[in-house]
Amino acid sequence: MSTLLDVRDIHTYIGQFHILEGVSFSVQEGEIVALLGRNGAGKTTTLKSILGLTPPRTGDVEFGGEILRGRHSYDIAAMGIGFVPEHRAIFGALSVEENLRLAERSKGDLERKEELIFGLFPDLKRLINLPGTNLSGGQQQMLAVARALVPDNRLLLIDEPSEGLAPVLIEQMMEAIRQLSSESTVLLVEQNFIVASRLASRYVIVEEGVSVAAGDMADLVNDEATIRKYLGAA
Amino acid sequence: MTTTAPTATRAANASRWLRSNRGRFGLAAFFGFVLIYSLFAMETDDFFITIIRGLAVGAITFLVVSGLSLILGLMDVLNLAHGELYMLGAYVGWMIYVRPDTFLDLVTPIALALSGMALLPLWRRIASQWPSGKWLRIIVPVVAMVVGLVIIVFLFSKFPLSIWNPDVFTEAPTNDAVALDAGTQVVPEHAGFEGISPLLGLIGMWLGGAVLGFGIAAAVERKAEVAAPKPERSAFVISGAVALLAVVVLAVNNPLTEWWYGLGTTPRFFAAMLLTTVLAFGLGTFIEVVFIRPLYERLLYQIMMTLGLGFILLEAVRSVWGRPQFTMPKPAAFNGRGDGCPGEGFGDLFSGCGTIKLFGSRVRMYNEVFIILVGVVVLVVITLILKKSRLGMTIRAGVQDSEMVEALGINVRRVFTITFGLGVALAALGGVVAGPALGLSTGMGASVLLLALIAMAIGGLTSFPGAAAGAVIVGVMQQLMIRFGSVGIPIPGLAEPFKPSPALVPVSVILLMVVVLLVLPNGLFGREE
Repeated sequence: MSTLLDVRDIHTYIGQFHILEGVSFSVQEGEIVALLGRNGAGKTTTLKSILGLTPPRTGDVEFGGEILRGRHSYDIAAMGIGFVPEHRAIFGALSVEENLRLAERSKGDLERKEELIFGLFPDLKRLINLPGTNLSGGQQQMLAVARALVPDNRLLLIDEPSEGLAPVLIEQMMEAIRQLSSESTVLLVEQNFIVASRLASRYVIVEEGVSVAAGDMADLVNDEATIRKYLGAA
Repeated sequence: MTTTAPTATRAANASRWLRSNRGRFGLAAFFGFVLIYSLFAMETDDFFITIIRGLAVGAITFLVVSGLSLILGLMDVLNLAHGELYMLGAYVGWMIYVRPDTFLDLVTPIALALSGMALLPLWRRIASQWPSGKWLRIIVPVVAMVVGLVIIVFLFSKFPLSIWNPDVFTEAPTNDAVALDAGTQVVPEHAGFEGISPLLGLIGMWLGGAVLGFGIAAAVERKAEVAAPKPERSAFVISGAVALLAVVVLAVNNPLTEWWYGLGTTPRFFAAMLLTTVLAFGLGTFIEVVFIRPLYERLLYQIMMTLGLGFILLEAVRSVWGRPQFTMPKPAAFNGRGDGCPGEGFGDLFSGCGTIKLFGSRVRMYNEVFIILVGVVVLVVITLILKKSRLGMTIRAGVQDSEMVEALGINVRRVFTITFGLGVALAALGGVVAGPALGLSTGMGASVLLLALIAMAIGGLTSFPGAAAGAVIVGVMQQLMIRFGSVGIPIPGLAEPFKPSPALVPVSVILLMVVVLLVLPNGLFGREE
């Protein structure tokens, strides 16, 4: 396994606020890594810093052997990073097909990935012409994930996939993430520790903008002290 | 049994739909009432011509408001210079239409300076590798920009330019317009280089643009942390093509001018429409990149910047064209006055007459028919772009969440630039098209901006169909009130019909906006925030 993503001591500011005060971790090719931590710890900002949406002021992000400093977000994304934002930020004015079409990086991406996407989310095929606003919350979340699958991405950044979903849909979403991890590496932000622990093989804990712990998920599950200290009650 | 459940849900859905749209139905009923009341309050032919004129005003307003609302929706920028860009479009269109020799004279120096600036990627590359101390990083860009501007301004005065002079009565632009309309226009004398060899002038102008471009590049790269990428070949191709255009236009300036003056007013007018729209697109992209881009997410600065830009454009137009109003002749194809005119009925629509009689009213081919046609064509074209093209899809997505569009790997800044250029191009097209109907005045920008802002509020700020609907509503309302000013509104209980004074016309449009916003705070087609 080789290192796909290496985050080295990044510091990110949003306006005046020093949000990330030194986050470091690395992701190996093919694994699922969960980014854990309390609300407001800086998990989402970490994802956005990797993508350059909130560029880090100091520190470096290396993806596939290249330093991302100074690159535009669209450039970074086009290197093969898919982003599934929190709160299901799909485009409501666009139909399901247009949402997927917009994610194409070269013509025909959607046709090539059709089987994979509609295999994971058969509902979307049925809803293909519906505007995004008319989808239910769960369907929107599926669309948000499907959108990241349209181009060939080497890394998927998935922010809170289980947030606000009914238990049966969480199961479906987990199954989908497990399946797509055979195609691409996944960095996952997840509040729901049970979901995270069942999906990810490794974890990184962020606490007040600093990465404080990392390791194998199997060890964390039995480490009640760490869980209680950084994540609250397990 | 099986059919009752779906029927029940359908009924429930229908009633929910009716309830959630009750504000819109109420307003539709209100507009319907205004129209029917007006139909009974005035003669039928009066009513007909008033509605047609309202649609024409709506079409012009639509050309301005469509760009305004696209720009606001996509970039959260309220472009207060939009009215003055409309005015600039009218004046530049007038120049290309009435004085193509002036236009051709201007092409060479401006294109040369732009060609030098177009190598910006190369200048950025050089500037970013320039070894310099901190103070040099501040001094070099400022000095380069000043030197570049001085060279350009100095050489510009040496370039051949035959132009009107608003301060001398016999050379005022109004004479050109009158002469073109009367068919007595003669080709003005060609100017030559003044006290400078043409070759030196050409090379100097290019260098001036290059130095200015280097100054801008050095200013941009001052804070950059990584070296600018190697310039792509396209930059050199574009720069070379523009320089070539400049030289070719200079070489064939005289015969081209003669040929252009020999054309009829109709091809000259359509050439002016096309060229002004293209040039305005270029100007719009330039404004976005240079002035707007550094100010995203700084709302107050944006407002000051666009407002100030509007004032600068206004004063620039006043200094070149003068303050007095003047006319723009109607193209001959819409201005026939000979035998058989005015035409009768729809059969004479293409007879070439300036006016035709429809339903007993005299409809002017240019002022009403052509302008409405342009509005409809633009509406259809922009709707198709928004619905069918990838650019349109990106714009619609970007209106909602431009950060997410960028996260998909799409260069959303480029879409911003194109959209801004498109908006400015539409406003300028509106100006050219309005010119022959309304005449040219330096106040035309401010008045159209007011109408456009009201139309935008009525339509729902960022909705494109809303912009179209708002523009038509505002236009029709304005024309109805103007008409009622002369025929009077019969109000039950009043002995004399009430005649709204001219001052009440803008007030009525604003009142209409108040009514709409009271019922629907987000406008007719606005999204709920």
